[in-house]
Amino acid sequence: MLELNNINAGYDFLQVLWDVSFHIDEGEMVALIGPNGAGKSTSLRTIAGLITPISGEVLFHNKVINNELAHMISRMGISYISEKLNLFTGMSVQENLLLGAYAIRDRDVQLETLAYIFSLFPRLEERKDQLAGTMSGGERKMLAIARGMMSKPQLMLVDEPSLGLQPNLTSDVFSALRQLRDRGVTVLIVEQNVNATLSFTDRAYVLEQGKIVMEGPSKEIKANKHVRNAYLGI
Amino acid sequence: MAKISSKRSLISRLKDKLPIVVISFFSVILFIAIYFKGGDSQVLNTIITGGMWALLAVGLALVFGVMNIPHFAHGESFMIGAYVAYFTFTPMQEYLYTHPSEFLSMMAPLGAIFAAGIAGAILGVLIEKLIFSPLRRRTKKDWIMNAFLLTVGISFVLSNGTNLVLGPNFRGISRYWDVQAVQIGEAYMSFDRLAAFAISMILIGLLWFFLRYTRVGRAIRAVSQDETGAMLVGINLNFIQTLTFSLATAMASISGASLLFLFQAYPTVGGTPLYYAWYVVMMAGLGNVAGAIIGGFIVALLQTATQLFVAVSWTTVLPTAVMILVLLIAPSGLFGSEVKGVQEQ
Repeated sequence: MLELNNINAGYDFLQVLWDVSFHIDEGEMVALIGPNGAGKSTSLRTIAGLITPISGEVLFHNKVINNELAHMISRMGISYISEKLNLFTGMSVQENLLLGAYAIRDRDVQLETLAYIFSLFPRLEERKDQLAGTMSGGERKMLAIARGMMSKPQLMLVDEPSLGLQPNLTSDVFSALRQLRDRGVTVLIVEQNVNATLSFTDRAYVLEQGKIVMEGPSKEIKANKHVRNAYLGI
Repeated sequence: MAKISSKRSLISRLKDKLPIVVISFFSVILFIAIYFKGGDSQVLNTIITGGMWALLAVGLALVFGVMNIPHFAHGESFMIGAYVAYFTFTPMQEYLYTHPSEFLSMMAPLGAIFAAGIAGAILGVLIEKLIFSPLRRRTKKDWIMNAFLLTVGISFVLSNGTNLVLGPNFRGISRYWDVQAVQIGEAYMSFDRLAAFAISMILIGLLWFFLRYTRVGRAIRAVSQDETGAMLVGINLNFIQTLTFSLATAMASISGASLLFLFQAYPTVGGTPLYYAWYVVMMAGLGNVAGAIIGGFIVALLQTATQLFVAVSWTTVLPTAVMILVLLIAPSGLFGSEVKGVQEQ
């Protein structure tokens, strides 16, 4: 479904990704793990069209998309939930969600999706008139994920879903993502919380210093000696 | 513990609102004072002038909020609107001398103002596509400064270009509608003034509805709050930015056109309205559309009060002084902190 071939990318003169290649198949839940500054977020930003790669190509359904603008990529069915969340903080929860479905012009479909999202996150329905900027960290993360789902994406890129969350909220967020996958949405997660991520995902890639150093089923990665030493501290 | 924190937040909240409380308190006092000194006519005058500044300031606030452009060529949009209205209205008027028609003479001014709006919208699209869009692709740092300098440049080019083509002559009309003045309370108001006020209020109302309740309007607000977030939900930034700029320019043109009986068309007519609109926007908080509406009326209030109680020549001095005072107390303007939500990120 999604394929990155020999991507080199970075910011201005600083190259972050060196010949990164990976692929995700339909219906998979894949993790991209690695230490700070390894280029995990940069990979997601490249896929989402916020960064144009120096070389290499990004394929979505076998179509080259790395020269498309970010809003076109979003309309193709790739939803990127950034680390900063990029919520519209001065607008209500409901308005944020409706903006998530901006590309869907049919008002009925919008409201239908909204009702579904509310059934998935009842907390958001309780707070639908509250300003997004006044919510707690966990609620905001939930809102960001929910907003990303409003466009009915085929692929969701989630950057650090557990960052800054208390443990029980983290598992809430992960189980929401899990539900998404069960509905047939493909999910790519970037995480530093390696242990939890590996037990939730099907496959994983390990990114270090801008290069993919390891790939395989999550179980095998979790059992790997290097990963256990470097990330799990066992 | 909980009690202490809630107490502190109450105090800090009051502190945030303090400028608003003080300003609204003084506004009410000024309003009453104006009523007793000047009577109905001065009160009406204040409200009508306020509507004018509000319409201009809303455009500025929108352009700054959505595109981060401190727009100093807004006055030239006003000027273009005045010219377009003049050059469409006078031929119509001449035609009506020879072919009198009650209905057409009522509609002609509206036609001229509408034409000015269309011209403004087109001008806005041209400026955005030819100047700001290329600049946006090439600027990485210092966008606000670059954009500001460009708008000043555009302002010079437009006003001097007009001077070159049409000359420095004043072109004005005595009135749009050949109707008797309307009596309101004890005051008489020319129909033109009332119409200009009605037009500005209707436009502001329409804009408010558009931003609040439509899909594209919501997208405009989204871009002003988080550009990256807007792109990620599939909003086409270029389209929204062009649309916003064109809307703001059209609104300035319409106010230039509807005030042609007051401000005659000449190359630098945009100066005064531009400065007043900037007073409003700086005082209310850059990028805050709702604040710009209220700010428009506050500035008009200060103007009328100065004219009544001090002297006409002080009209620009006092509003500026109050603006400086407001900025000293609340650097982001009266309503500055409310635009972007309570917390950033």
